[in-house]
Amino acid sequence: MASLSIEERLLHYFLAMGAQQVAEKPPSATLSFVISDQRVNVVVARNDVLTQSTIIEAILGLATLRASSNQVYLAAPRLLGVTIDAQLFRSYGIGLLLYDDRRIDEAVAPQVVQFAQPVPTMPTQDPSTVAEITELKSMYLEMKSTLVRLREEMQTLQHTPKEPPISSIDMPQHVVIQQQPSFSESAGQLPSFFTNNPWLDVLSKRGRGNGEPFAG
Amino acid sequence: MALDNYRSNYTFAMDFGTSDFKYGPISCGETPRIVNNRGYFPDKKSVIYNAFESAADVVVGEDVPLYLQSTEDLSTRLVYPMRNGVIDKSDETAWRVVSALCQFGLKSFEPSRNNGFQGYYLVASLSAVSPRYMYERLIDILREINSDGLVRAVTVIPQPFAVAIGHGVTTCVVIESGHGNSQICPISKYPIRAAQVALNRGGGDANAITSEILKDAGYGDLTREESLVRRVKENIGLVPANLDTAIDEAKKTPRRFRAKFKVPGTRLEIDLEKDSWARFLIGEYVFNPNHEIFESYFGRGMSRPKDVKMGDTVFKGTLDFGDAITTAVEKCPVELQPMLYREILLSGGNFSWQVPDRLEGVAVDSPTKIKLLLRQKGIKNVSVKMTQSPQFSVWHGCIIYGFAVPDEYDWDWQRLEGWMKLSG
Repeated sequence: MASLSIEERLLHYFLAMGAQQVAEKPPSATLSFVISDQRVNVVVARNDVLTQSTIIEAILGLATLRASSNQVYLAAPRLLGVTIDAQLFRSYGIGLLLYDDRRIDEAVAPQVVQFAQPVPTMPTQDPSTVAEITELKSMYLEMKSTLVRLREEMQTLQHTPKEPPISSIDMPQHVVIQQQPSFSESAGQLPSFFTNNPWLDVLSKRGRGNGEPFAG
Repeated sequence: MALDNYRSNYTFAMDFGTSDFKYGPISCGETPRIVNNRGYFPDKKSVIYNAFESAADVVVGEDVPLYLQSTEDLSTRLVYPMRNGVIDKSDETAWRVVSALCQFGLKSFEPSRNNGFQGYYLVASLSAVSPRYMYERLIDILREINSDGLVRAVTVIPQPFAVAIGHGVTTCVVIESGHGNSQICPISKYPIRAAQVALNRGGGDANAITSEILKDAGYGDLTREESLVRRVKENIGLVPANLDTAIDEAKKTPRRFRAKFKVPGTRLEIDLEKDSWARFLIGEYVFNPNHEIFESYFGRGMSRPKDVKMGDTVFKGTLDFGDAITTAVEKCPVELQPMLYREILLSGGNFSWQVPDRLEGVAVDSPTKIKLLLRQKGIKNVSVKMTQSPQFSVWHGCIIYGFAVPDEYDWDWQRLEGWMKLSG
């Protein structure tokens, strides 16, 4: 085991936890994994001597990885464990792995970060897009009016009165009124309420001097 | 009778009822098209309206329900212009709805021009209580919207006159009773306008008393929905032969008269139980709201039917139908009166009352009730009939009128008859 590099050992450590290695990793990360949809980045500290300031520097560097991962670990030699303040790691939510030639231990568990939903920003209005929407809107209105017209035409077709008899079509001007043909000639074409209706005679005499009002 | 080939194709009728607008050309046959006599004024500030809609000021016809929004919205934006048969001269909103309905009706039946079409002969029908300015305004509207020559000539006739024509009776009394009002009109080849009687009482008033009865029976929360109240009225309302007798009978044998109505498709069941006698009040109120029992409802805030003025005469809103008919007939020449009583025609949805088999004798239909009311006035030799198709008889009459009245009979503002030529 000791012949393996720390990177290989960390790889095995995470693979044993069910992680999958991800080839694409941030430049500052040594290793990158996915565990249950969680992105985990690991940075290995190699310096045998870490001062307080370099630790803070490392933590700040690790903090930049938070934007692209759910969990971040610093893997450091066990010998340095005594000089590292675990509380500092907890406050930043960074996990700490300590290793020696034989073992790798999780000294501080990382804080899992759920990525916030990206806040939609109001896109600036692209004039070409606006023009396209306007064109689409006018096309929509045109299609709508065409549909309405088609519907009306269909209704008209359904209800358009039959072609008038040839006698009236032939007459070029205005209304063609045949004065004398008897009502019975086309009674079959008229609705049933015309049948034997005495008002047809009464009303046809309106304005001709007879049938003046009895009262009123 | 001369046959007019042109008008056997191009006669058009419009019936402006208090609830429905019936319209269509003669080619519709027996049945015209119907839409609600109403218009919706969309909120033009609405983002959705601006994004997707073209600029229609008033929406009428079948599309209205697509625009309806909240209940609060309806009271201001949904306009029924002829709820009481009359539109105020200055009510521009209502006139805009009428104009939109006229355009909608005509555009629905726009024929192609290559088959000799030169405009419809259009007959519009208004309530008998319509004042002259309504005739003027309607003709003006049709003139304004006639830029494409769809109307060749127009005339306007009163609805009871159209009923008589549609029913084929030349001397009669027509009682037309709709949602908002009732009109009693003697006719002898012409409508006898000086003898007309109008009552501000119709199906809406029967709904009002039904609503009060439901409140008393513990169903007050249901009375906000007018359509439900109307269904209750139609299902439990009865016309009594005699109100006092009917109430006594119903109180003696409540099980026989029990008024129960289950609203289809819901868990709702209305049961008047021991108060089932009240179902007779609904029908009686339509025919005669003068019984003292109605005073308790007026006392609790229910509105009395309003009086209506025609010419110099004021007709009380509570006039019973018997009095209304005799008042109208007695304004006609004496020798005509027996002929008028011999043919009384009832038209309109407000006369459609059921008589359950087991309650025959106690409950009666509308013609029987009218006969009983006239008998109380000493008039016995009467014939009262319901029109064959109450809903369409006005439209039928308009079509016959438009077909038969000669083209050369010009409009006369004195008689309010004849053709007003708009084009051609």
